[in-house]
Amino acid sequence: MKLEPTENVTLPPTTIEETPTAAPRRVSRRWLIGGALSALGGGCASPVNPLAAESELDTLVAGGALGSDPSSLPREGGAADTQAGLPPQGIDGGVFSPPVDAVLRLVNRITFGYSRAEYQAASALGYTAYLEQQLNPQTIDDSQMAPRLAAFDTLTMTSQQIFDTYRNTSNVPVQQLVLASIVRQTFSKRQLLERMVEFWSDHFNIDILDEQCRFLKLADDRDVIRVHALGKFPDLLRASARSAAMLFYLDNYINVAGSAQENYAREVCELHTMGVNGGYTQQDVQEIARCFTGWTFRGGASGQFGTFFFNAAQHDNGPKTVLGVSIPAGGGVNDGEAVISILASHPSTANFIARKLTALFLGYNPDPSLVARVAQTYAATNGDIKSMLRVILDRKPITQLLTPKLKRPTHHMAALLRAMNAIVTNPQPLATRLDRMGQRPFHWPAPNGYPDSLGAWGSNLLPRWQTVVDLIENRVSGTQIDAFGLFESQGGTAPGQAGRAINRLLTGGALSAAAEAAIQSVYDAPTGSQLGRTRDAFGVAASMQGYQWY
Amino acid sequence: MSHRIARPCGCLEYSQLSRRGFLGTSGAALAAAAIPAWLPKVVLAGDATSRDSLVVVFLRGGMDGLTAVAPYGDPNYYAPDLRPALAIAPPGSANGAIDLNGFFGFAPALAPLLPAYQAGDLAVIHATGSPDPTRSHFDAMSYMEFGIPLQPLNTVSGWLARHLLSVPPLAANNPLRGVMVDDLLPRSLAGAPNTLPIADPAGFSFPGRSISAQIRAGVIDADYLDATQPLASAAMNTIDTIDLLQTIDFANYLPANGAVYPTSGFGMALKSIAALLKADVGVEVAEADLGGWDTHAQQGPLTGELAGLMTDLAGSLAAFHLDMQARLGNVTLVVMSEFGRRADQNSSLGTDHGHGNCMFVLGGNVAGGRVIADWTSGELLHPDLLYGGDSLAVTIDYRDILAEILQTRLQNNALDVVFPNYTPTFRGVIG
Repeated sequence: MKLEPTENVTLPPTTIEETPTAAPRRVSRRWLIGGALSALGGGCASPVNPLAAESELDTLVAGGALGSDPSSLPREGGAADTQAGLPPQGIDGGVFSPPVDAVLRLVNRITFGYSRAEYQAASALGYTAYLEQQLNPQTIDDSQMAPRLAAFDTLTMTSQQIFDTYRNTSNVPVQQLVLASIVRQTFSKRQLLERMVEFWSDHFNIDILDEQCRFLKLADDRDVIRVHALGKFPDLLRASARSAAMLFYLDNYINVAGSAQENYAREVCELHTMGVNGGYTQQDVQEIARCFTGWTFRGGASGQFGTFFFNAAQHDNGPKTVLGVSIPAGGGVNDGEAVISILASHPSTANFIARKLTALFLGYNPDPSLVARVAQTYAATNGDIKSMLRVILDRKPITQLLTPKLKRPTHHMAALLRAMNAIVTNPQPLATRLDRMGQRPFHWPAPNGYPDSLGAWGSNLLPRWQTVVDLIENRVSGTQIDAFGLFESQGGTAPGQAGRAINRLLTGGALSAAAEAAIQSVYDAPTGSQLGRTRDAFGVAASMQGYQWY
Repeated sequence: MSHRIARPCGCLEYSQLSRRGFLGTSGAALAAAAIPAWLPKVVLAGDATSRDSLVVVFLRGGMDGLTAVAPYGDPNYYAPDLRPALAIAPPGSANGAIDLNGFFGFAPALAPLLPAYQAGDLAVIHATGSPDPTRSHFDAMSYMEFGIPLQPLNTVSGWLARHLLSVPPLAANNPLRGVMVDDLLPRSLAGAPNTLPIADPAGFSFPGRSISAQIRAGVIDADYLDATQPLASAAMNTIDTIDLLQTIDFANYLPANGAVYPTSGFGMALKSIAALLKADVGVEVAEADLGGWDTHAQQGPLTGELAGLMTDLAGSLAAFHLDMQARLGNVTLVVMSEFGRRADQNSSLGTDHGHGNCMFVLGGNVAGGRVIADWTSGELLHPDLLYGGDSLAVTIDYRDILAEILQTRLQNNALDVVFPNYTPTFRGVIG
C-alpha cells in the first residue's frame, strides 16, 4: 500500500515538514469552505431538528443502518429523541464509553485532552475545587507559559504597533497568533479558559486572512475574546461589535447612511445572538444595519489603528424600529448600543447561547431541560458565562447527561501532545498538521466558525492518522515525544502489558478491552525493533475510533 | 446504526468487506498498453463509458450573477438607482460585456469561458436558483445542497448523496464513488456512500513503518467496524482508497492539449478531479468549491475582488474544458451558488444577499452556446418584477437543471428520491 514518503527514513526532521510559510490552500479570502457540512455527513442520513442543525450524534446512533433503499431515509421525529443515549458499550473493539470516574470525565470535557498530570492534579483537588479553579483561571499559576510565548511579540502589541512593525510581512502576526493558540491549548494550565477561547473564537469568527484582519485579529483575540471568555455575554457581544477586526470582517466599517449594508446586521442576529430561527425579520436586519451606520475604526495613518470610532457624519439619524422596539431619531452611537442591549436581553439569545454552550461540553444534542435551565441562568445573571457553565458542568450532568463527542483536529492533536508529554520547540509544523486536518486556528473563512459536529469532521480520518503516527515517530520537526520512555515507565514492556500501558497513558484507561488487545497485537507482531513496535502500538491506539472521542 | 456489525450486513458499505483483498491488491489490475506516464497503473473500472461523471462547483457566499452574466439588454439594468457603479457596460463599450446572444454578456473577467461557449459546450442558465426565500447563507446552502427548498429542514442527506444511493455503482466495490477535493464534505454529499473528502490526493498515503503497515491498517480497519457513522464507512473507504489512489501519479500529471490550470486552490482542485476522472477509478461525482463571493463591500466587478474570483473561476473551468476534450462526452460539470445578490448596490459599493442568480453547465453533451432564461418581457429587472422588491427572481428552479443532468447523463430514474416533493421541468440544457 502507499505509504507516506517519510517511512523508514532517518532524515533530519526539518526535511520532512513544509516550509514555515505554509501557503494556505485557501485561495479566496473568504468562504472557500464555508459550505462544508455543519450539519451532518457520512454514511447514514438521519433526522435532525432544524434548531439542532449541529447535533447529530444521537440521531446517528439511533438512525438505523443505511440501507440501499434511499426512499427509506429517515425523517424528522425518528429516533432523535433518544436523549443522552450513550452508545451501547464494549462491543467488538469498542464504541467509546466514557469513564466512570467523574473527575476523569470532567477532565476530558473541559480540557484539550487527558494527561496524567492534569488528571492527578484534578483528583487531588476534587471535582468541585478543580472545576472552580478552572472557572477562575486567574487563580491558576500559569507563569510557565511566559517563556513558551516569549517569541510572539505581537501578542502584547497594539494594532498600530503590529501594523507599523509588520505591514510588509503581515504573515508574521498571523503565524504568531496561530502558533500561540496551539501552544496555549497544549500547555496552558488554564484549560477551560482555552476551550472557551476557542469556542468564542468560532462563535464570533473572524478570518484572519481577510486583509486588515491580519493586523487586527490579535487585538480582538486578546481584548475581546480572551478578556470576556468567562465573563458576561453582553460584554463580550458589545466588545465584539466595537472590535476593529469584526467591523472589518463583516464590512460594518463602511456601512454608512443611504442604503445601509447588512452584512454585520444579519450575522449578529443569526450567528452571534438569536439564531437563524430566533424570530427576527428581513426588516429587522435592515433596521439594525441602519443603527450601526457610522460604526467604524481608525486607519493605520491615524496613529490609532484599530481604535473604534463612531463617524456621526455617516450615521443614519432617522428613527428605527428593531424587534418591535422603537429607537427614536437622533440617537447617534446609542442606536447601535440599543441594538446590542435588545439582542443581548432577547430570550432567543439566551436559548441560542445556552444550547451552544451545553452542546460544547455535554454532547451534540443536549438535554432540552438542561438547556432550558442554562437559558434561565442566562436570563437571571445577565448572561454570566461562569454561572451557565456551573449548571452545565455540575457533577450530575457530567455523570448522567454526557454523550460522546468527536475531538476536532485542534483537540485531537493537543490531546496527543499532552498525553505524551511532548516537548515543542517549534510549533510551526504543528500548524501545518492542523491545516491538513482542516482546522488551522482563525482560518475558517465563513462567519459561522469551524463547525463542532460529527458530520463535519467524521469523514476526514487519514490526516488524523498521519498526524498522530508522525508525531509519535518524531517525524514532525520541532516536536519531540519519548514514546518508549513513557511506555517503559508504565510497565508496557512486560509481557501482555503493552495495550494496557498505552491505554492508560493516552486516555486514563478509557479504551475498551478489545482495543487494548488489538494494541497489544500490534506491539507483539514480528515487525522489527522494540522501539518501532512500541511506536506502532501508540500510533494505532491514537488512530482508533476510541481515541477520536472525548 | 447498529453497533453489532456482522459480516456481511445489509449496509452497502459493509458488504464489501468480505470481498476486499485487504490492502495492496488493487495493483493487480493493470492495463499495460498505451497509458501515459503519470498513470503507470490503471484500475479498470466497470463500464466507464456508460454514463457521465458529474463535477459540481459550488460558489460559496452568493455569486453576483448580475455581474457575471450581465443582462445588458434589460433597460432596467442601467437604471440610475439600481447599480450605477457596478453594472457591466454594454458590449462595445470600454470594459463592456462580452456578448453572448444579443441580450446577455459575460463580465470581461469571464472571457476565458468564451471558447467553451462558442464550441457549444457551455450553457448559461439565468434567473435561476433555489425558490427558498431565506437570505441566510447557511440556511440557503442547506436547502439547496440537501435539495429541499421550501421544505422542513429535516432531510439532512445531500442531493448528490441520494443520487449515488439511487444508481448502481459505476465500478463494483469502488471505495471512492464520490470525492470532495477539500478537507470537509459539503452538505450535498452528506450521507453519500463511499465518499471521502480528499484535499490532497497526492498525499493520500498510510503513515508509519512499511514493515507493519498491513498489520496496523488491518487493526484500524477492524477497530472502526462498529464505529458510529460516518466514522465506520470513512475508515474503510480511506484504507481502500489509499490503495486506489496509489495507482495515480498526481505529481506528474500532465494536462492534455496544453491546458494550464491556475495555481489557485480551485485550479488545483479541478486539475486533481481531471486526473481522477481520466484514471477511470470509478469516481462518479466530484465537487470542488470556490469561496469568497460574499461581496458586501467594494466588490470590484472589473478589477477588484469579484473580478479576481471570476478570473480564477473562468481560468480553471477553461483549463478543465481543454484538458478534458477527449472525454468531454463523459463528463458534465455544473456551477451553482446559494443565492444571487441584491439588484441594487449598497452604500459601500457592494451588494447584499439577494435571490435569483445564474448557473453554468459544461460538458460535451450540453446544449451549449446558449443562455437559457425566462426573462419576462426582457425586463425582469423592472421594479415590479423584482423578487421582494429588490432582487432578481428565480424563474427556473435549480432542481430543473440538476434533474435533467441526472436523468439524461447519469441515468438516474429516481428523481423523486433526489429531489423529494418536486416535479422538475426539463429546460433543454442537455441536447
